Amino acid sequence: MIDRLRHTLTDALTNLGRAGWGGLASVCTIAVAFLIVGIFLLLAQNLGAALAQWRDQYQVTVFLDDGITADQLALLKKRIANEQAVRAVAFLSKVDALQAFKKELKGRESLLEGLGENPIPASFQLRIRDDYQTPAALRQLAAFLSRLEGVEEVQYGQEWIDRMAAVLKVVQLVGLSVGVALGLASLLIVSNTVRLAIYARADEIEIMRLVGATKMTVRLPFLLEGLIQGGVGAGLAVALLFGAYRATMYQLQMTPGQVYGLGLGSFLPGGAAGALVGAGAVLGAFGSLLPVSRLLRA
Amino acid sequence: MIQAYHLYKTYGRDVEALVDVSLHVEKGEFAFLAGPSGAGKTTLLRLIYRDELPTSGQILVNGRNVVKLPERHLPYLRRSIGVVFQDFKLLKDRTVFENLALVARVLGMRAAAGKRKVAQLLRLVGLSHRANAIPYKLSGGEQQRVAVARALMNDPMILLADEPTGNLDAELAADIMRLLREINAKGTTVLVATHDQDLVREYGRHVLVLKQGRVVEDYGDGR
Repeated sequence: MIDRLRHTLTDALTNLGRAGWGGLASVCTIAVAFLIVGIFLLLAQNLGAALAQWRDQYQVTVFLDDGITADQLALLKKRIANEQAVRAVAFLSKVDALQAFKKELKGRESLLEGLGENPIPASFQLRIRDDYQTPAALRQLAAFLSRLEGVEEVQYGQEWIDRMAAVLKVVQLVGLSVGVALGLASLLIVSNTVRLAIYARADEIEIMRLVGATKMTVRLPFLLEGLIQGGVGAGLAVALLFGAYRATMYQLQMTPGQVYGLGLGSFLPGGAAGALVGAGAVLGAFGSLLPVSRLLRA
Repeated sequence: MIQAYHLYKTYGRDVEALVDVSLHVEKGEFAFLAGPSGAGKTTLLRLIYRDELPTSGQILVNGRNVVKLPERHLPYLRRSIGVVFQDFKLLKDRTVFENLALVARVLGMRAAAGKRKVAQLLRLVGLSHRANAIPYKLSGGEQQRVAVARALMNDPMILLADEPTGNLDAELAADIMRLLREINAKGTTVLVATHDQDLVREYGRHVLVLKQGRVVEDYGDGR
């Protein structure tokens, strides 16, 4: 059994060598297709990660009246915390808010000099439960909160998060359709290449059949060849993608850590990369089996 | 070993390759299928190893009805029959050794056992020294012997040889015939198709003569 497998594998490799340019064409086709699919995957993943992080960081901010009393503040905090949609509440005092603002203006603090009194209001920073992160629910929450005593204004960054989500959806959709189209195209090209290879080897297949080869015996080397071609093609694509990703990070002068702070800059997880290679192998195998099966039926 | 009953094979509408052919070849026989080119010899052989199905009629090979054989049992029928093809069907891009080893692999032999078998058969046909040659570098007689060796890889019960002396001079033809007789002496049933009447006269014991798809003579005893 192992002997036989080794035989078949050796055969497949020998035949790959014999296939030469045709085999290379298959590998390249699959590589290009998977490279493009990989780019979309990477984009979608990074956009998704960024979105998740932004969602978590920037949620609803409740700005408070400057004249709010301590009692009112305590009551307000209690009411907000009791809201179903609210996961966590953090208080940001006027002083802290100014400090934070100054930090952001680093080097240009002079801009604040003419202001005299601290113009920045105190606020509650709200984190929202995932199931309430819909535009409608947030609008409702904001409307409710803005009516409470001591509340100056309620802000939430939902609009552009929504816009980001829409972009993500488009990227996913385009990626999916491009992926399916390219997958089909490479299936056709691979099976065509293999068909040519099979015509070149029709004699061999005929003899194998005539001396009593089972269909499986005839198919197996082709199956393995397709598997290897597809896997190598997709592997090449993942390697290229990784190279391009690292080069881009370098161009942006960002270390992975820095970029990660923005929710950006993670490469495809190992599982996804493995799945891509696996999908390539399956595609290659199918591309090879189609024409062989047709020949065996004839 | 081979029994055929009322075989008809018609191509298209009106090309009758075989007409009401019946024959019996016993186990261990050395039989000839004689007749001019186009008499239907090759067609009859192809029906026996079921490269084709008859239009009507039945064929039994070693007691099994070939016509009704399910597709998945076909490989096992073919493994019990060795065929020397008229055009040899040797792979041009492989060495003699690789041509034979291909069969070993199809039969699922272990690598070492396959190698031994190939070496043994090349010795039998006297071609051990040409194992690494490419078929087109061989003479016609040598190619013919490679084809015979390949047909024997599966230790067949039946050897079918289609014009095995076709393009050979008398001396080489005699070599091949000696080889086939030797194989027959070891118990393999041999059926040789030939148009060469001299050959039939010299070696023929059981002879079936085909003409225009019909058996016109059936004489002798192949033992």
